[in-house]
Amino acid sequence: MVTHEDVIAIARLSKLYIPEEELDAMTKAMDDIIKFADTINNASEKGVEFDNINNLSNAFREDEVVPSYDREEILSNANDIDEGHFLVRKRV
Amino acid sequence: MKYEMVAGFETHIELATNTKIFCSCTTQFGGDPNTHCCPICIGLPGTLPKLNKQVIKYAIMAGLATNCEIANISKMDRKNYCYPDLPKAYQISQYDKPLCEHGYVQLSSGKKIRLTRIHIEEDAGKLIHKRGDTYVDYNRGGVPLIEIVSEPDIRSVEEAKEYVEKLQQIMRFIGISDCKMQEGSMRCDVNISVRPEGSDKLGTRTEIKNMNSITFIGRAMEYEFQRQVDLIESGGQVEQQTLRYDDATNTTSSMRGKEDANDYRYFRDPDLVTISVTDEEIDELRKQIPELLFQKAERYVQQFGMNEKDAANISKYRRIAEFFEEASEGVKTPKNVSNFIIGQIFRRLETEDDKEKFDISITAQQLRELVKLIDDGKVKNNLAKSTLEKMLDTGKSVTEFITESDMAGMDEGMLAELCKKAVEANPKAVSDYKAGKVKALKSMVGFVMKESRGKADASAAEAKILELIG
Ligand SMILES: [Zn+2]
Repeated sequence: MVTHEDVIAIARLSKLYIPEEELDAMTKAMDDIIKFADTINNASEKGVEFDNINNLSNAFREDEVVPSYDREEILSNANDIDEGHFLVRKRV
Repeated sequence: MKYEMVAGFETHIELATNTKIFCSCTTQFGGDPNTHCCPICIGLPGTLPKLNKQVIKYAIMAGLATNCEIANISKMDRKNYCYPDLPKAYQISQYDKPLCEHGYVQLSSGKKIRLTRIHIEEDAGKLIHKRGDTYVDYNRGGVPLIEIVSEPDIRSVEEAKEYVEKLQQIMRFIGISDCKMQEGSMRCDVNISVRPEGSDKLGTRTEIKNMNSITFIGRAMEYEFQRQVDLIESGGQVEQQTLRYDDATNTTSSMRGKEDANDYRYFRDPDLVTISVTDEEIDELRKQIPELLFQKAERYVQQFGMNEKDAANISKYRRIAEFFEEASEGVKTPKNVSNFIIGQIFRRLETEDDKEKFDISITAQQLRELVKLIDDGKVKNNLAKSTLEKMLDTGKSVTEFITESDMAGMDEGMLAELCKKAVEANPKAVSDYKAGKVKALKSMVGFVMKESRGKADASAAEAKILELIG
């Protein structure tokens, strides 16, 4: 069972804030997701090629340059920036 | 006891595509930090990587040029590790189904260095460490790489250097990478161990990471070989570890030991579908591989009677080789063409880079015209040489500098007349020669050459003068 504490811990690692009133719903959703992933354990492994179940191949792209994003936009999600770089602070 | 070096290479080479491997950002070197980036190459959630077709082509060409088998089916995998140069916390690479396998590179001794595999993957971003903090630039992140993994077939520093040089030359020749080690578009990791000579067991190996110059590779390997030998000789044991080479002190130091060796938890990247290449497509690419430099060199020796050194010099750079071949078409003396290239044209191309670019002012056809005049006996070698200099200075053709009357050559009578004139005009030279100064003869021949504007045949003139004063 996923607990409130688990959800808060994961949210903190992902730098997300979850308001108190959403905790119940989020915990249940997380629990459902993990249970869903667990169903794979019940599948028969014989003769199944899990590697390429959709049998698709060769979704290629042509080698043509498209302008990149503005740096401001690229850096806009960063925790810390300096001189146009993402900044990873020394851990104390 | 005598020890033997056992070494293998992992070589990363950046492919010369226009765009990154999974997005359409430019791969251009340099640029302000984080200006060649988009949500895909900075690893934002919800983005979908899409494989660049050219990467597959170039990687297959690299495989074909190094005698690899090309896989009809391959796939991309995630290699998980957590470090700021990887924004997704995994690198998209290939694990158990690489594009190319079982190739080799042949050294000049004839020995083959076997290649285990060549796979494609994305490059990481660049980290700059300042005041304890880390500055991250993702411009390089997502630039396509091939990693060429060799078997531990290398036994000496000389073999290692030749192997790296050969790889560099091959990849440049087929045009898939500029392989500039100083700019990081070619980087080598070396696995190295030692064993008593004659033993067929492998010792414990260490890995020296990320070297970007052939000289440093040589020094690092020498240092590491000696360090391991000394350790064993003094009763110690080599520890499996990853090393960093410091070129300032010429020593290696430990980056990490075996105990924190990474478990990369490879698994198939679910965002990228299977890569399938048909035999027809592989054959099509095989046709695009030019005759390689070593094959060219061999042919030049056999076909044109060139010496091995000249043949190697001409064939080393693709543009020069092509220029040489075009200029030699239909001439009687390809040797003259190669002499002009190595002698006069190389003097104008100082750096490796200059030779690679081969930016000169005349065309192959213009050089061919000049050499044909020598073939036909219309122009003497000395005159041809000075004319070539003028052609190279101006980009103009030979007819701009040598007129029809210059080419008419000299008949016997004209030569005899000029020689007579030389003898009459230089009484001192005549008496000097008669007094035993052999050099004086040369000055009279020089007079004839000058008067004839280079048209006269120097040895014929010499004979004639001797006859006159004899
Ligand atoms: Zn991008």
